Amino acid sequence: MGSMLGDWPSFDPHNFSQLRPSDPSNPSFDPSFNEEMATKLTPATYRPTHSRTLPPPDQVITTEAKNILMRNFYQRAEDKLRPKRAASEHLIPEHGCKQLRASTSN
Amino acid sequence: MFRSINVTSRIFERQIRTPAPGTSVHCARRFYENIVPSFTVYDIECPDHSFRKFTDDGQYLISFSRNHQDLIVYRPMWLSFSCKEEDCCRHDLPPKAKRFESFFTQLYSVTLASCNELICKDFFLSMEGNQFGLFATSTAQIHDAPTTGRAIQGVPFIEKITFHLLRLEDGVVLDEKVFHNDFINLAHNMGVFLYDDLLAIVSLRYQTIHILQVRDLGNLVDVRTIGSFCREDDELFLISNSQSLATSERSRLNPFPGNQVGNGHNQVNQDDSFLSGIKQRLLSFIFQGMWNEETDQAMRVQSLKKKFFFHFQDYVDLIIWKVQFLDRHHLLIKFGSVDGGVSRNVDHHPAFFAVYNMETTEVVAFYQNSAEELYFLFEKFCDHFHATSRNSLHMNFISSHSNNVYALEQLRSIKNKGGSFSQFVKKMMASLPFGCQSQSPSPYFDQSLFRYDEKLISATDRHRQSTDHPIKFISRRPPYTLKFKIKPGPEAGTIDGRTKRISSFLFHPFLPLALSIQQTLFLQPSVVNIHFRR
Repeated sequence: MGSMLGDWPSFDPHNFSQLRPSDPSNPSFDPSFNEEMATKLTPATYRPTHSRTLPPPDQVITTEAKNILMRNFYQRAEDKLRPKRAASEHLIPEHGCKQLRASTSN
Repeated sequence: MFRSINVTSRIFERQIRTPAPGTSVHCARRFYENIVPSFTVYDIECPDHSFRKFTDDGQYLISFSRNHQDLIVYRPMWLSFSCKEEDCCRHDLPPKAKRFESFFTQLYSVTLASCNELICKDFFLSMEGNQFGLFATSTAQIHDAPTTGRAIQGVPFIEKITFHLLRLEDGVVLDEKVFHNDFINLAHNMGVFLYDDLLAIVSLRYQTIHILQVRDLGNLVDVRTIGSFCREDDELFLISNSQSLATSERSRLNPFPGNQVGNGHNQVNQDDSFLSGIKQRLLSFIFQGMWNEETDQAMRVQSLKKKFFFHFQDYVDLIIWKVQFLDRHHLLIKFGSVDGGVSRNVDHHPAFFAVYNMETTEVVAFYQNSAEELYFLFEKFCDHFHATSRNSLHMNFISSHSNNVYALEQLRSIKNKGGSFSQFVKKMMASLPFGCQSQSPSPYFDQSLFRYDEKLISATDRHRQSTDHPIKFISRRPPYTLKFKIKPGPEAGTIDGRTKRISSFLFHPFLPLALSIQQTLFLQPSVVNIHFRR
């Protein structure tokens, strides 16, 4: 089967390259158009056909309470206040036992 | 959307075409290009009041009596008359058109200020949803104020400031909030900010931000007080601990009677021992930011010494100048030195901005007024600095450089004019925090409809230098013609060119009606012109 958009001409040859039929494991390909491929591919989006249960939380669109300006302020604050680790500290494994941080020693 | 400038063909086009998504208000506004206040009645006979503002819903005109004790509210109406003759357009208007009463009906007059108080005529805030108005009266300002308790020096002192919450429909005073022996900057709503139903009042003298809520029935309720304490239970915690500290201090100091090096400072004066809550939050934010900049311990200490401890006293001496809401939980606070707090010209004084979250009581951001980072946020998201409440949709259409291409061009031209970038940034940052309700929502100030000289007239209600020449409003779209002119002052111009004259303009929010008021500085009666569409 040919992919819907894979062979069409476009400015950039890399456009739609992922939809080439040579790449059958592409999860973004919509399975509803081809029943045979449905078993190999997992649909990326959840389409509810009933309203008996709530949709998964990451599939619901909600309005962010903070406006974009506040989000920018918080983003910059996080970047500023996140303690930067020196190169040597990256070698210390961070799981399991607690390590004494260089910042608290004096 | 409209292909022609003719109003009739635009009306026909409107019947068959829909505007592009999200532009219905902008398309409707284009009709203001056709309906303009082109006719002027000069020097109209009107009562000698100082006219303040039209409310944003266009229902009321607020004015104060000359003696600054009474509030008089008018309802703007539209002139109507009929003419039986054939060539009506050429006729002069009937004499009753030249009367103030044909345009405005007095609704009521209320005395707000008692004997030794005066209404602050530059102060007025309105709540659109429930048609409330907030006014302020105060006693005289005293400059050499005695310092008591936590009051800072250098700030003048007013014995009594009262905020009156009024129902505009009938002039009934619903609630009052009084501040004693305090100083709040009332001119042009500087010390107060209204967002939705939340009111922030900055007490400069006690360095406190009072947050109040205006309830639907008209009560002013205290929500929180930010300054010495940030959370509601901070004071309780300190008092309960200070008692136990006092006893342990006494027992600790006694064994070392001659030791003066000791603990740094003794807790003799409880007031001076702690910095105020908000100051502590600010200092710890600055400290943490600098601490995290360096990773090497030695560099860290060096950097702190240079940048933090060297300026520590300067940071401690900062005072809150002005405050605005960014949303219901966040405040933008401007800090500066004591000298700049009261003066109008703040260019020479360093200023700092902090974003403070009232719920978590944390400082989220801190910038100096020359910070480029803050300027870039201001340039991209200016509209979000003008915190507009949910209820007033029209406030979202006031031209700013974030929502209007022409305003952005103007900003860019000022930026590229020359001079240093940091001077430009400081100049832009001087307008932050924005004053509350200081811009008129009139579509005649929409930069995409009209081009006008911003130095002579703009949406911001401020007194400006008056010129004899009329102020031209030229359309932005082809054929770029002059649409209307606003000329303040008498028709023939003033003979005496030497006296300084200032004008102010009051535009109705949606009708083609405007008042221009020209005043000289010698208490002569002002000249009021009415501009409307004939």
